[in-house]
Amino acid sequence: MVEQMSPLGDAYVPGSHGNFADGTGVKISLPQPGSIVEATAWPGREAALAGAIERVTGLSLPHHPGGGVVTGDRSGFGIGPRKWLLTDAAEGLAETLRDALGIENGTVTDLSHGRTAIRLEGERAEWVLAKFFALDFSSDAFPVGSGRATMHHDILAQIQRTGPSRFNLYVFRTFARSFWRVLCHGAEEVGYEVR
Amino acid sequence: MSPRRTAAGGRIDRARTIRFTFDGKPMTGHLGDTLASALLAGGVTLVGRSFKYHRPRGVFAAGVDEPCALVTVIDGQAREPNVPATQIEIFDGLVVESQNRFPSLGFDLGAVNGLFGGLFSAGFYYKTFMGPVVGPLKGTRFWMLCEWFIRRAAGLGRAGDAKDAARYEKMNAFCDVLVVGSGPAGLMAAKAAAASGKRVMLAEQEPLFGGAARWSGETIDDAPAERWADEAVAELAGLDNVRLLPRTTVWGIYDGNTIAALERVTDHKASRARGEPRHRHWSIRAGKVVLATGALERPLVFPGNDRPGVMLARAAGRYAAEYGVLPGGRIAVFTNNDSAYRAAAALHRAGATIAAIVDVRAQVSAAASKLARETGAEHLTGHAVVDTAGRQRLRQITIRRFDAASGALSGAARRVEADCLAVSGGWSPAIHLASQAGAAARWDERLQAFLPPEPTGGWVGAGSFTGAFTTQEAIAQGLAAGAAAVGATPAASKPPQAGGPDLDVTPAPVFEIRAKGKAFVDLQHDVTAEDVRLAHREGFVSVEHLKRYTTLGMATDQGKTSNVPGLAIMADAAGRTIPQVGTTRFRPPYSAVSLGSLAAERHGELRPERLTPMHDWHIERGARMLAAGLWFRPQIYGQPGETVEQAYAREAAAVRAGVGIVDVSTLGKIAVQGPDAAAFLDRVYTNVFSSLPVNKARYGLMLREDGLAFDDGTTWRLGEHEFLMTTTTANAGKVMQHLEYFLDVVWPDLRVNLTSVTDQWAGAAVAGPKARDVLAACVARTGVDNEMLPFMGIVRGEIDGIPVTICRLSFSGELAYEVYCGAGHGLAMWEALMEAGKPFGIVPYGLEALGTLRIEKGHVTGSEIDGRTTARDLHLGWMLSKKKPFIGSAMMDREGLASPERLQLVGLVSLDNRAIANGAHIVEGKQPPDDPHGSIGHVTANCFSPALGRYVALALVKGGTSRHGTRAHISDPLRGRFGPVEIVSHHMFDPEGSRMHG
Amino acid sequence: MLISCPYCGPRDVSEFTYQGDATRTRPDPASADAAAWHEYVYERSNEAGPHREFWQHAGGCRAHVVVIRNTVTHEISSVAPARGDRI
Repeated sequence: MVEQMSPLGDAYVPGSHGNFADGTGVKISLPQPGSIVEATAWPGREAALAGAIERVTGLSLPHHPGGGVVTGDRSGFGIGPRKWLLTDAAEGLAETLRDALGIENGTVTDLSHGRTAIRLEGERAEWVLAKFFALDFSSDAFPVGSGRATMHHDILAQIQRTGPSRFNLYVFRTFARSFWRVLCHGAEEVGYEVR
Repeated sequence: MSPRRTAAGGRIDRARTIRFTFDGKPMTGHLGDTLASALLAGGVTLVGRSFKYHRPRGVFAAGVDEPCALVTVIDGQAREPNVPATQIEIFDGLVVESQNRFPSLGFDLGAVNGLFGGLFSAGFYYKTFMGPVVGPLKGTRFWMLCEWFIRRAAGLGRAGDAKDAARYEKMNAFCDVLVVGSGPAGLMAAKAAAASGKRVMLAEQEPLFGGAARWSGETIDDAPAERWADEAVAELAGLDNVRLLPRTTVWGIYDGNTIAALERVTDHKASRARGEPRHRHWSIRAGKVVLATGALERPLVFPGNDRPGVMLARAAGRYAAEYGVLPGGRIAVFTNNDSAYRAAAALHRAGATIAAIVDVRAQVSAAASKLARETGAEHLTGHAVVDTAGRQRLRQITIRRFDAASGALSGAARRVEADCLAVSGGWSPAIHLASQAGAAARWDERLQAFLPPEPTGGWVGAGSFTGAFTTQEAIAQGLAAGAAAVGATPAASKPPQAGGPDLDVTPAPVFEIRAKGKAFVDLQHDVTAEDVRLAHREGFVSVEHLKRYTTLGMATDQGKTSNVPGLAIMADAAGRTIPQVGTTRFRPPYSAVSLGSLAAERHGELRPERLTPMHDWHIERGARMLAAGLWFRPQIYGQPGETVEQAYAREAAAVRAGVGIVDVSTLGKIAVQGPDAAAFLDRVYTNVFSSLPVNKARYGLMLREDGLAFDDGTTWRLGEHEFLMTTTTANAGKVMQHLEYFLDVVWPDLRVNLTSVTDQWAGAAVAGPKARDVLAACVARTGVDNEMLPFMGIVRGEIDGIPVTICRLSFSGELAYEVYCGAGHGLAMWEALMEAGKPFGIVPYGLEALGTLRIEKGHVTGSEIDGRTTARDLHLGWMLSKKKPFIGSAMMDREGLASPERLQLVGLVSLDNRAIANGAHIVEGKQPPDDPHGSIGHVTANCFSPALGRYVALALVKGGTSRHGTRAHISDPLRGRFGPVEIVSHHMFDPEGSRMHG
Repeated sequence: MLISCPYCGPRDVSEFTYQGDATRTRPDPASADAAAWHEYVYERSNEAGPHREFWQHAGGCRAHVVVIRNTVTHEISSVAPARGDRI
């Protein structure tokens, strides 16, 4: 398969940036999963979708709004009623899941190119994210594994907490460079490392 | 050290000297000083000139309520005007200028305005500059001419036009309890709420927490109150569940307890750390808000009450106690309540001579009398100040006997030498935020003040905000409010005990001393007591009208010191009570907010933008980019020396003669999937999609419910249950919401899912007679000949190992293909197509050429589907299926939508060989019309057509089809363009469409 | 103003798009009853008080919700999924 090109262009500058008088507050990176997939169940077919996801990915997704899990190379979380966003380090998840699900249960849409994953981790991750999103990022309100869909100005972001101080953000690819820039800009205050 | 400086006490660090510049003059102060305290310590009493009369003004307050001492802060090239000197913490290198003076602060030409006081009385703008009824300077024009002069004579500071290099940021926060204000009430509330373990935020507009505890001179639990406050703050700072926000003004409270606050992060620093914002706009969602915002002191209104040296008693007391500065050497006090005695005591303790304490009341409390005796001042009860004297600072006050009940003056005038007059006219709780949050304020007759309305559920109040003016009450209320905010009961242990004189701040109901001379109500807008009475005489009975007519309370301080005295004077003039007159509701912001903090990162290079996967290629090839909504698209790929017109004409001609390629990744793309997808499309498009075979595309048109055209595009059937819908670039979001609405609300039974895949696919349109040759040269795993890929057919293949989907469709009217691949492969695919096209002379083309090609063909876009046109107006009537209902079908045949007189799409050909201007009107006469109603239509799109060798345009013209072959004129008076055109069919080039079927 | 999205929780109104009056009924699509269609497309009562309306959480889960909002006080007394199905 031909490698995907990063949407960031010259906005991606590896290294340390900003004010790290107090150490590096956050690390920002581009995980580039091979598959990003949106899966939707028809009303009443949620269990069938959850079953298909579990068979294909091994992910056992909680059913409450925004519920999700992260295991090794894979992750999944609710992004809307009967709707989940799934990722896999490997390519090809959309095809496998589509075959496993069947149109009678729901749909699978490949967004591997259409969404860009941005990872933000570090002690000041909550502080930096709070500059952009009106979400309560405290771990009580936003536990590990769960996800939220929200927006920063015109940019829709689906955010999953993948660790106590680690988040994956999924944004529309064509906004990725612009969003990366503002994210880095906002992180300058706490010092950030791009890798 | 300055003779005005006390030897010890206060928050300043006498060991640290700070150097700053005021009006170009080097000055010094100490760490902890505000500009106001440093100026007072340096003996500067004249700080600014007033708004209308250019009267000399000095420091009047000590906090956010300052109406007079406004200055401009210079930061490099950036200027921030109208900042209260009381709000500026000095630092080394601070540069400030005074305002509204010419040529200098001490000698000001504008002060002659003061001689023409009558001219500038209430409503003078409305009365004076009406202008003649006829002639070149009638009405508004005359006003605009006068305004030019007035703006220079009257006003505030001058804003700069240099770019502000500082950074401004937004921050979102969530908490269970937000405490606003950190006096004893706020500190107790924060402690009580924090004890529950819930998340607490404490916002204080000043640099130091503690509020009145910092200057009251009282004790709390036998320690000086400020030490008690420091300990309480230290304790709060050590808690994980508490966030302290100093220098943070809570300025707005909105529905759902969403709070707006401004944190001045670096205004007190000489430099900013990398990435550190100057201001941070906090958007806080709080479960409960505790309002412990304190109270604002009111002045008394009397002649000469604006002279530099006259200031609020609390301010004078604060300067002495908190900043170690004496605002004067020989100070007089003028009051209608006990609180000013506390200030007198503080000033006396700090070393000032208290010349006299003038009290309008005949009798005062024992505690007040005791304080008066201790200061050694002459205590003049039943007296009032009736005038002041001194040129650029107070020198002398005039006193007469005064009867508080009748307001009558009597006896001989006495003069007392004083260089500072500390004035107190009672206290107004700072109810602004509560007023913003809901109901009207309540007038309290005893306190002579507006108290907050009953809590609305979102907030609780504590301390002098509620009208409870003693520290002991503030402590008790703070404890109760903090506990109530977290749903707890207050701890049973004994609350901290306050110690201090038992003063009664209940004022005598006296607001104004009526004597000869200008007595100011609103010091910032120069509104006098006489202005208020004049407004009443002229019939302004509503307080809202009074405010607008006199501009009382409408300056940058929003009337913090002037609202209540103004109302009282108006009530008195009208023979009504204050509650009968009522007050205006407070609006955000509580105090001035920087525009930068509101704009934050959404400006300049940080604006959100959308870039296609081929963006960098376009830039490298010298494309001139055009913003289209948030997208950036190539306008032209200009060559050296080419004009825009030459470039697009070359590009468009190359497409018709050979082959061109254009980035179409911006087209809206929606995956429509599900067992009912085809049925759904039949309902939303005017034409039928259920009959479309798999691997075929169809052009579709959508209407709105009202029958007008909404959007168009091709939709591809990729599988039995899978379609890819394309929309116009500009309408992608709207179409998505329109479709989602119908699925969620109108047809929830349809099993259809929609996903935006605009960003998933990169798209390139390859167009021109040689387009097929280009594809044949690079596409693997499928044929692209007419058999395999007929018009509107779809195939899947590979280009350089990249999976692609190709649909043969045409916007240009040429043989053309849209080639799509995963966006992450977009650039590679584009470069492969360019490489394959090289032998055929492939030319990249931009939006202008794209537009030219479609105009020549008469294809419509958003310029024609403008929300006013029907399918038939655009000659798309053939797309309206009669076999099925669809969105808009029920209303599209309404009489008005079928009239032959409607604007219809036509082509225009320029007859004078000049460009036809977009937006120009089309008129029948041969001369530029005087009658603006003579228009029969307008131009929607224009270009130079290389295919026709003419300037052409598309237009919407009344009964357009019936006018084919006739002449008309385009008229564009704004750009001075008037010229003849021929009206023709919109199909101007290759009307049979033979080229795209080739 | 905050709207409590049944899926996402309370969010600022800026994440939502107003999608119209939720008190009207769409006529039978095949119906040519001009008066009924006119009523549906154009007539609005402009209530002062509680009002049923559609909002879409466009900046979140994208679901449509039915909001009962007091047009005088801005108080929102109920938010429910427009589709009626559980979330």
